[in-house]
Amino acid sequence: MLDKEILNSFQKIVGNENIDDGEVITNAYAYNWCIEFVNYLENKEPIPFSSIPKAVVLPSTTEEVQKIVQLCNKYGIQFKAQSTGLGPWNQPSTDNCVILDLRRMNKIVKIDVKNLYVVVEPYVSGAQIQVEVMKYGLNIHMPGAGPMASALASHTSMCGPGFTSPQTGHSARNVLGTEWVLPTGEILRLGSLGLKKESDWYSGDGPGPSLRGIMRGWVGTKSGLGVFTRVAMKLFPYPCDAKYIAEGHSPLYDFQIPDFIRAYLLDCRTFKHLEKSFLRIEEEEIAFICSHMSSFAVMAIFSYSLESLMDKIAIGSMKKPLIIVIAARTKREFDYKQKVMDHLMTELNLTNIIGSKYEPESLFYAECLRANLGYHGFIATGGFQSAKGQCDTAALCLNTERKNIPLKQKYIEKGVIANDFAEGAWMTSYESGHYFHMEVPTMFDQTDVESVKGVAEYMEESNQMDLLQHLGVPFFIEGDKMHDEWGPYLMNYHNWLRKIKEKFDPNGVSDSGCYISSKNGGSS
Amino acid sequence: MDEEEYQKMIKRCVRCSVCKWIPQVQIKSQKYASACPAIDIYNYHPYSGGGKIILALAYEMGRIKPTEELRDIVYKCTVCGNCAVACKYMNTLEPLEIMMKLREKLVGEGCGPMPQQQAYIEAIKKVNNPYNEPHQKRTDWIPNDLNLDPNAKLLYYVGCTSSYRRKEMAIAAGRIMNKAGVPFNILQNDEICCGSPILRTGDTNTYEEILNKNLNTIESKGIETVVFSCAGCYDTFKVDYPLTRKYDFEVKHTVELFDELIESGRLKLTNDVPISVTYHDPCHLGRNAERYEDWDGDVLPLMPLVSINIPPKPKRTGSKGIYDAPRKILKKIPGLKLKEMERIQEYAYCCGAGAGVKSAFPEMALETAKTRIEEAEDSGADIIVSACPFCSTNLQDGIKDKKSNLKYFDISELILMALGLEPEKLKRATEEVVYNNVR
Repeated sequence: MLDKEILNSFQKIVGNENIDDGEVITNAYAYNWCIEFVNYLENKEPIPFSSIPKAVVLPSTTEEVQKIVQLCNKYGIQFKAQSTGLGPWNQPSTDNCVILDLRRMNKIVKIDVKNLYVVVEPYVSGAQIQVEVMKYGLNIHMPGAGPMASALASHTSMCGPGFTSPQTGHSARNVLGTEWVLPTGEILRLGSLGLKKESDWYSGDGPGPSLRGIMRGWVGTKSGLGVFTRVAMKLFPYPCDAKYIAEGHSPLYDFQIPDFIRAYLLDCRTFKHLEKSFLRIEEEEIAFICSHMSSFAVMAIFSYSLESLMDKIAIGSMKKPLIIVIAARTKREFDYKQKVMDHLMTELNLTNIIGSKYEPESLFYAECLRANLGYHGFIATGGFQSAKGQCDTAALCLNTERKNIPLKQKYIEKGVIANDFAEGAWMTSYESGHYFHMEVPTMFDQTDVESVKGVAEYMEESNQMDLLQHLGVPFFIEGDKMHDEWGPYLMNYHNWLRKIKEKFDPNGVSDSGCYISSKNGGSS
Repeated sequence: MDEEEYQKMIKRCVRCSVCKWIPQVQIKSQKYASACPAIDIYNYHPYSGGGKIILALAYEMGRIKPTEELRDIVYKCTVCGNCAVACKYMNTLEPLEIMMKLREKLVGEGCGPMPQQQAYIEAIKKVNNPYNEPHQKRTDWIPNDLNLDPNAKLLYYVGCTSSYRRKEMAIAAGRIMNKAGVPFNILQNDEICCGSPILRTGDTNTYEEILNKNLNTIESKGIETVVFSCAGCYDTFKVDYPLTRKYDFEVKHTVELFDELIESGRLKLTNDVPISVTYHDPCHLGRNAERYEDWDGDVLPLMPLVSINIPPKPKRTGSKGIYDAPRKILKKIPGLKLKEMERIQEYAYCCGAGAGVKSAFPEMALETAKTRIEEAEDSGADIIVSACPFCSTNLQDGIKDKKSNLKYFDISELILMALGLEPEKLKRATEEVVYNNVR
């Protein structure tokens, strides 16, 4: 609970109904997905509750956020901002923290069709933006977390690979003008938004100040460096006819598949051939989706229940699957892309399993277009989390995946993580193969303490393996302990990160639990 | 949901917020993407379906106590079940059932229901209806020229709201059955509340007393079919009663009966009704009217941490609600144009009245109704039509408060228009009852 004087100060900013420091609300905000194994790794009881926030505040404007942050500085209280709130990154890391739930900041500020960007507030989901920009034949990048997640959070504060990354890239690459409430309470406007005259949202890197590297880098600061209140993000051409009709009833909606879309499921059989195929296909720049998944994951993305997943066991016999979706707005474009794929399959000696041995539900195409495939990861056990999380060359990503198999197998044999043939992985190219992302989703049971401990130990061992075998940097290197561990191996980057934190957040009020504190070896 | 299943399931929310939206592939606009009236109004996460699961877990772990703060959040929910539809698109969690179990536990602790809800429960105990109206006035709606048949095997269970507040619905239902030559009777003074308003508060003990009284009455009369114009009564009889006590008679909502009568040619909709309407799916007639299917299979451990059900366990997704019948009726009315809202069928937005919200939190009920009315306006229709007396009252309150030009009709009133009868005239009916056998 907050001291009465402090509570009154917050109430003056947001109104009585928009701040709550009661037991019920604050406890509910202490819960999140995967917190149980985060707790275990911090030698705490493996329960799904983090530190309890002192209060939850619901600001509705940038000015209110600014005043809240100023108040936090005044009273020495930390803050953690969240929007749609999925995952442990949303949780306070100390008992001296208020949560800023940005749910009331939910407007699409501007859609600029000519200059291909959309400006949004934090609590607008990916799907909400997509349906509005689809009216202009446009699309946005959505992360693997899915269309229900905040687009602003992904673009400003998280690592953001998605199934459509071959076309729409990575969240960090799509950020344009940004409105940022710094940990000191100052408002900083980045890119063309920061111009003194004729400011607008069209560019993130100038004219005007560019601090994109500091603001988010590759994996984001997860509210460890202030609050982002509005952001412009790039728009892309919608890949096909934007008429989107799903009739019938849940869950198997009957989707009217647009004319010019086609899926390919290819078994590349070996890592070597997978790498060659991946690079070759992406070289042609025709894929809307181009993902490598384990055969188990392929079974999952075609399924809407555990039982229906098991019906697809024939797909499970695939060795190194690659799933590709091509889409086009005209017949001519579609014919071209199909011809290229035909040519590539001949060249690479691959056969399309879709259409010959398996036909997905029409809903599969609806989920491809709405970026809803990642959610299928929950089907088997109800819980999963990804180890790894690399952004690198196809070769390194696949080498990491290959080397991870015996490690994962060890934990499967212990019975603490689910058996996905130890091959569970998801890998996508970014921007037609310019670079790649790979992560290793791991299914566990969050209600089983041994499973929670098991997945935590597996992830820790997996990180160690990456470090010692030079397999790249996982995307969940967060918090002082991990940065201190990894920094010395990577040009002491952590020292520079700390300097940034110190300069931007001199009072250490922006919760550092998933970022870095300014003090060596301890959280602020 | 039994206690063991409850204890397991409350640990499984992944806090993804899917429960706050309609199924992702059904979102058509930013404005109408949301699924849950409670989170839309109160904003804090615990008001959502997933938030209630977290509250249930926190409560079981002793992290939160049965306080007024907890009670208010748990009861500011219309139990519409839209969160469950969204969650079960992919998952197997039951946010609605968890929330009901949590209410039951709060009642057990003396923390629930809300005082206003307790007042109507007392009224039901005393005068058999939640409006505290005299029981003997329950049949006042019956017009003097309505034909009732004491030998009929079809019972029209009128319900409290149609009997006392939405008499036009009861009259219209009776008139239509008369017109089609369907012999029916009503329970007269033997009819009491169905128990739905009690059940939704979590007072299961009182509810079971009512359930047993109702089933004893109906079974003693040799009834073959019970028909309901109230979606709440229908859902309670169809879905909830069998979970406690099985029965042998058939249950139907009037839209199902009328659809059958139209299909068979016993009702002929000949008069032009040149209006444009949008149809509001009542939660109790739509997603919540899907029965639980018996499952007696085996849980087969497939590998560590993964078990499958053999045969697959039926999942209530809301897909088996009554969606086609009312739409078929509307499409058969000459001259009528049906314009759908964005949120329909199993992902329809709630009217805002259910589960004791209208009595305990009238401002929430009204706000939700106005949201739904705005969606109806945006459909381009002139009239919003539904098939539930409780939706009727609340949506009409919303129209009034919003000063909307929209008009509300029950679907049975539109059928009357198509049959050439005037609904307004029916509202002036007298109290006299004329039985078939005395005519």
